[in-house]
Amino acid sequence: MRAAAEPVVRADHLTKRYAGDLRRSLRYALRDVGRELAGRRGPDGPRPGEFAAVDDVSFELRRGEALAIVGPNGAGKSTLLKLLYGLIKPDGGEVRIRGRVGALIELGTGFDDVLTGRENVAVNAAVLGLSEDELRTATEEVLAFGELEDAADMPVRFYSSGMKARLAFAVAAHLRPDVLLVDEVLAVGDFAFQRKCFRHMRAFLDGGGALVLVSHNVFLVQTLCTRGMLLDRGSCAFAGTALDTVARYLATRQPRPAANRAAGEGDGDGEPRAAAAPVAIEAVSAQRPGGGPPATGEPLEIAVRYRCAEPVDAVWGFTVWTGDHWVCVTGERDLRPRRLERAGELSATVPRLPLLAGAYVLRPTIVDAETMQPLAVHGLDDEAPAVLEVAGGAADLSRNAMTAVNQLVTIDVDWH
Amino acid sequence: MNAVAGDETVYSADPVLRSPGRFLAAARADLRAVPPSAWRMWLRGVQARHRQSRLGYAWLPVPALATALTWVYLDDVRVVRFGDAGIPYLAYVLIGVVLWQTFTDALHAPLRRLGAARHVLTKARLPHEAWLAAGALDVAFNLLVRLGVLAAVLVAAGTPVRGAIVLAPLGVLALGVLGFAIGLALAPVGLLYDDVGEALTVATGLWFFLTPVVYPWPSEIPGDSVIALNPVTPVLVTTRAWATGAPGAEPAQLAAVGAGAAALLVAAWLVYRVARPHLVARL
Repeated sequence: MRAAAEPVVRADHLTKRYAGDLRRSLRYALRDVGRELAGRRGPDGPRPGEFAAVDDVSFELRRGEALAIVGPNGAGKSTLLKLLYGLIKPDGGEVRIRGRVGALIELGTGFDDVLTGRENVAVNAAVLGLSEDELRTATEEVLAFGELEDAADMPVRFYSSGMKARLAFAVAAHLRPDVLLVDEVLAVGDFAFQRKCFRHMRAFLDGGGALVLVSHNVFLVQTLCTRGMLLDRGSCAFAGTALDTVARYLATRQPRPAANRAAGEGDGDGEPRAAAAPVAIEAVSAQRPGGGPPATGEPLEIAVRYRCAEPVDAVWGFTVWTGDHWVCVTGERDLRPRRLERAGELSATVPRLPLLAGAYVLRPTIVDAETMQPLAVHGLDDEAPAVLEVAGGAADLSRNAMTAVNQLVTIDVDWH
Repeated sequence: MNAVAGDETVYSADPVLRSPGRFLAAARADLRAVPPSAWRMWLRGVQARHRQSRLGYAWLPVPALATALTWVYLDDVRVVRFGDAGIPYLAYVLIGVVLWQTFTDALHAPLRRLGAARHVLTKARLPHEAWLAAGALDVAFNLLVRLGVLAAVLVAAGTPVRGAIVLAPLGVLALGVLGFAIGLALAPVGLLYDDVGEALTVATGLWFFLTPVVYPWPSEIPGDSVIALNPVTPVLVTTRAWATGAPGAEPAQLAAVGAGAAALLVAAWLVYRVARPHLVARL
């Protein structure tokens, strides 16, 4: 039995560079192969036209640990997974992995379309060196987990994307890996299967497996992973607990102040949004009366600054979503019409905030009073949503129990 | 890069050839998974390919027969005059075309198979050798079907069976290995640049005329000509001679080309393994 403290994955200054231009990239590929055949190392820095898709990333992962990798599109998350899986070769640094690796790189595309589901399982199992007996058992397990028994003998090209996703997860997770690399597993597939995957990953971790999870679903990341890493343009912008990482990630997606935008700072069009839309929400704030971060059980003041092209009668409200935008936790609206002038502020107070600690998204909405058509929904288009960071109160038994089951709100109860 | 020590795998920026022992161990480990995977891929591929066709496997010998009959016709109406082939011209040209097709099948197999699996290669760490081996099985299967038809035609044409025919499989093997080795050597560049596939198609057409497939050999063509220096020439001519008694057997040359082809095959395979992560990163 290996000591749990010994890392199963050790990435040390991992770097991978790509050239944006295809012709140049192909030319570099030939040179890389030539250099490799001559036994010489590649260049230490980027060549002309190259950028670092993964830049000097280091981390260690032990048994039972789950590392979440979050970051915007193009941050290098998938490239990092490919490096860990050994599909591509680092340009700098190294990665050491103990044991078997199961990986799910871009859902459902690692299969031979011509082969049936069962045969694809067998081909993947053969690579891992499973014996005939092990193979038979494992194949049935994989097909059962993926709920694909009826489609087992159908070529994968006839599978729906959901079926491919189920097969991909089942193969990666069930062929007894020590390290599981998962890329956007819950992007497709039905809700029931997603829950199944979630439970499986948790059991895998409890059984001493190590997990690297790439996901835009920050809710999943927060609940499944202990540790997190925020990638930004290839480099590690933050490493810490999963919660802190997600908070940092969401914070980086905050909108910039309207004043900056009006000053034309990198916005491109230089046009204030209010001029284009009938009503624009320019700023959202949520804090305790008199200042201070939102906290469970405390009052919360919400203020929305708007600008209209012309005066309009409107009603307004807001919804609160989980940080991944998947679940609307709660919301309220004031159905009394009010006159919005060219610019102003709407405000409301929640006397006692029921949200438990975590990162949420606050989405204020302004609706036309007559037609009830939305005039402005903040955080839906290209602008970043307003993040509502709720601080937890002092830890106690009840609060910890709520956190353990991912409870989102607390309610007042009179016990008899 | 793919170094395995104990149960620890190391992927580093160091050139793989600096640790040849580890490099070869990883290559050997991958080979173990190849036979069952390649067999499944090939079998399903063959079934799938012929499922959408009414005539199915019957299409395999048709091009060879059509080519052979065309040349027989051209010879018959004296558009071309090749002189005496030593055996009935139909038998001579038919076996020549079947052997030639085996060579070109093998030549195109690596790039065709790897190109088709492109999207899988970038996402799954299955040994690429499985696709290559499935490609080799394609070549063997196509050959077997064509040989069945060829045997029937030869028997019908009254070609005598000779003892040397038992050597013919060696020649066929050498021809297949030669084609496959050249194809595999071109595959790394071919996966990056489409020019290789295009050039291979053009070259195959030209190569056909520079090989004594349809015209008799030995002939008055000088020994230092491109035709004589063409490595396919001694292999094809000798194999045909063993099978049918046509003149021109050169067993020593065949053995030399066969050995060279085997060496090229191993070298091309190792080079491909070195190139693999760089290719995957760009596919």
